[in-house]
Amino acid sequence: MAKVEAIDYGERKVYSVAAFNRGLADWVGRLPTVWVEGEVTELRRQERWQTVFFTLKDVAGGACLEAAMPRRRFDALRLDLADGERVHVFGRAEIWAQKGELRLQALSIERFGLGAHLAALERLKQQLAAEGLFAPERKRPLPRLPRRIGLVTGNDAAARRDVIAAVTARFPPARLLVAETRVQGPRAAAEMAGALRAVAAEPEVDVVVLTRGGGSFEDLLPFSDEGLVRAVAACPVPLVSAVGHEQDTPLCDLAADVRASTPTAAARLVVPDLAELVAALDRRREALRREARAVVGRRRERLERERDRLRSGGRLLLERRRTALDHGAARLRALSPRSTLARGYAIVRHDDAVLRSTAALSAGDRVDVALAEGSFGARVDEIAP
Amino acid sequence: MTDGELTFEQAEAELRRIVERLEAGEVAIDEAIALWERGEALYAICRERLDAAEGKVEELTERVQAAKPSA
Repeated sequence: MAKVEAIDYGERKVYSVAAFNRGLADWVGRLPTVWVEGEVTELRRQERWQTVFFTLKDVAGGACLEAAMPRRRFDALRLDLADGERVHVFGRAEIWAQKGELRLQALSIERFGLGAHLAALERLKQQLAAEGLFAPERKRPLPRLPRRIGLVTGNDAAARRDVIAAVTARFPPARLLVAETRVQGPRAAAEMAGALRAVAAEPEVDVVVLTRGGGSFEDLLPFSDEGLVRAVAACPVPLVSAVGHEQDTPLCDLAADVRASTPTAAARLVVPDLAELVAALDRRREALRREARAVVGRRRERLERERDRLRSGGRLLLERRRTALDHGAARLRALSPRSTLARGYAIVRHDDAVLRSTAALSAGDRVDVALAEGSFGARVDEIAP
Repeated sequence: MTDGELTFEQAEAELRRIVERLEAGEVAIDEAIALWERGEALYAICRERLDAAEGKVEELTERVQAAKPSA
């Protein structure tokens, strides 16, 4: 490498542009070789060019970096890259001396692989979990009878048809609002998030179903996109996620209020079975009538019991009184002087007063004597002291 | 809220509470009859809500596109 030499203007050292660039390139060239992850955009490859150029872009922030690779090496990788694909580029920083521009000189390019995807997914999952997006207390109950059901689905007919068929079979009066979006490819996640927001904002939409049939791991990746997962969590009405099959767990499933294993299962969750609903309603009306009658019946029974008690109670009282009366009559009879007279005693009256002593009597007084049978008058002959 | 504004869920929940109240007993006869009448009205509201709804599948995208020319 040519030595960078300054021209001396007296005290001042001045570099030519080429010398400055060379110096910078020399310094940057000593930086270590690293892996850089990004999305490929503006891939420029032409047969007559010795170099293939492309721009690496951060999916999230949009930061850009120019990259270059010799065409032969690029072609030898047989990557068949297209714009929008995520790659890992192994290379080092380089200054293109003629222009003074920085770029990443690629030594190797790897398509973002399954392992890398899994690791990135796991990181995102941890991060969103830490934010509380998957917390159980965030889960809302589904309405029992939604006025309208929003359905966000791919135009891959199967899932869409399954949900609509299952919903209308179970609950014929259901009203569905369907938003078709792309569910695959680099723009799918953003489109689905937009469709979710649009559907949820429609009047009377009480629940939203996000669905897609089964697919490969890569097919389901948009359902783990951070933007979509956040849109699911932010959905103003409860959301059912029915994506892929039982074993798939895209991140949108974790952020949804309820996860359904299949589109048909989602239908069972969002609408009640009309026949069952009507039957249950009829049973409740039967219970209403039965219970109301039972209240009246219980009252009548109580009333009848009380009447019976009243009647039997009255009879009992009368009986007791009569017994008491008989008892009293017997006692009265026992105390009467008649029985004493019957034993031979007599009652002697003078001036209508019963005599108990001779103190008030004088000889010649008239007294009346009563016996058990009959009475007679008599005169006092003599009074013993 | 008048009865006309009751949702299916609200009417159904009130009907359930009425039945539970009757089941618990200790309701005066006049009240039991009033509850019965109210329950029958709520049942009618529930059935009406179910019968009035007509199944429909709309497309959001079509609606949006249909709205565009006039916008």
